[in-house]
Amino acid sequence: MFINWAQQEITLKIVYYGPGLSGKTTNLRYIYSHIDASKRGELITLNTKEDRTLFFDFLQLEVGKILGKKPRFNLYTVPGQVYYAHSRRIILSGVDGIVFVADSQRERMEDNLNTLLDLEQNLITMGRTLQDMPLVLQFNKSDLPNSANFELLQQRLNFYRVPHFNSVATTGIGVFETLKMIINQVVNHIQSHA
Amino acid sequence: MNLGHGGNGQSIVLTGEMYKEISEILSELASKTRARTIIFSDMNGHAITQRGVTGEIDISAMSALAAGGFSATAEIAKIIGEKKQFKYIFHEGENSNVYFSNVGDNFLLVLIFSSETALGMIRIYTKRAIDALTELLSSANEEEKKASQFVNFDFNKYLNEELDKAFNF
Repeated sequence: MFINWAQQEITLKIVYYGPGLSGKTTNLRYIYSHIDASKRGELITLNTKEDRTLFFDFLQLEVGKILGKKPRFNLYTVPGQVYYAHSRRIILSGVDGIVFVADSQRERMEDNLNTLLDLEQNLITMGRTLQDMPLVLQFNKSDLPNSANFELLQQRLNFYRVPHFNSVATTGIGVFETLKMIINQVVNHIQSHA
Repeated sequence: MNLGHGGNGQSIVLTGEMYKEISEILSELASKTRARTIIFSDMNGHAITQRGVTGEIDISAMSALAAGGFSATAEIAKIIGEKKQFKYIFHEGENSNVYFSNVGDNFLLVLIFSSETALGMIRIYTKRAIDALTELLSSANEEEKKASQFVNFDFNKYLNEELDKAFNF
């Protein structure tokens, strides 16, 4: 979070975290292409030649002034693949809220769980905890025939009982609902903690 | 002013007076170096302020990339056994050069200048600006204003109205 009293600006950092190919970049792409150009910056993607996220994606959103104050939201994704652990830690620096994008397919349950544990571990090394972090779970690819049922996903992944959404990021189902929820979680957190 | 806890990246709250003094140091640096653009941001990638020609540059993207790049090279420093992060990073282009330096653990200064400008001059004046900024930022009182004062409860309600408009709900 960055607050500039002179300019009446507040900038919040929201990170989309999750296993490889769960749809983090797809969330950002959908937001980028369905929000008015005056309310967003360019979408920055640092990809490998195979179009996988190498370092991070970045998109800044700006809504109108609120009571004279200008809120900005910096959205980041992390690279999901296991061996980019260092990059994930770098991107988490200064995070205000996290969207965990899980892959709903049954065979990805272990990957989801391992990435969630990786997230928790990284937060702990930064002196923070998952429990005290504004967090929203997104069960993506919920339209696929091999997706696990909602109860199972909840039971296995949502141990802190945080807000959650089923989503299909490719068509936008659940994408803006998730984003609105995490922004609300972050603002509520600031009001009650900071 | 709450400078947070460095690389752990807690919140940074900048008061009006502090912002004014930072702006003055950057203006001085801009006039001395004739750098095309100067950006001051934090290590979490939030742009704080800028000087010079900025119209064609996406400042927020530049800050995010600069912070990411700086953090990545800090990891390289660790791997080769350096105790501290590198003091600066220099990129040389055909027409423009970019000079990145850290200001303490929490902030970052980016200078974009013509490839015809002497690097030595950029280094000298940037060093002076960094010293001034470091002194200024370290003299700040902790937590003069809290973030919760900035976003009160009315803020929430109006924010949701704006979000609904932006997201076409």
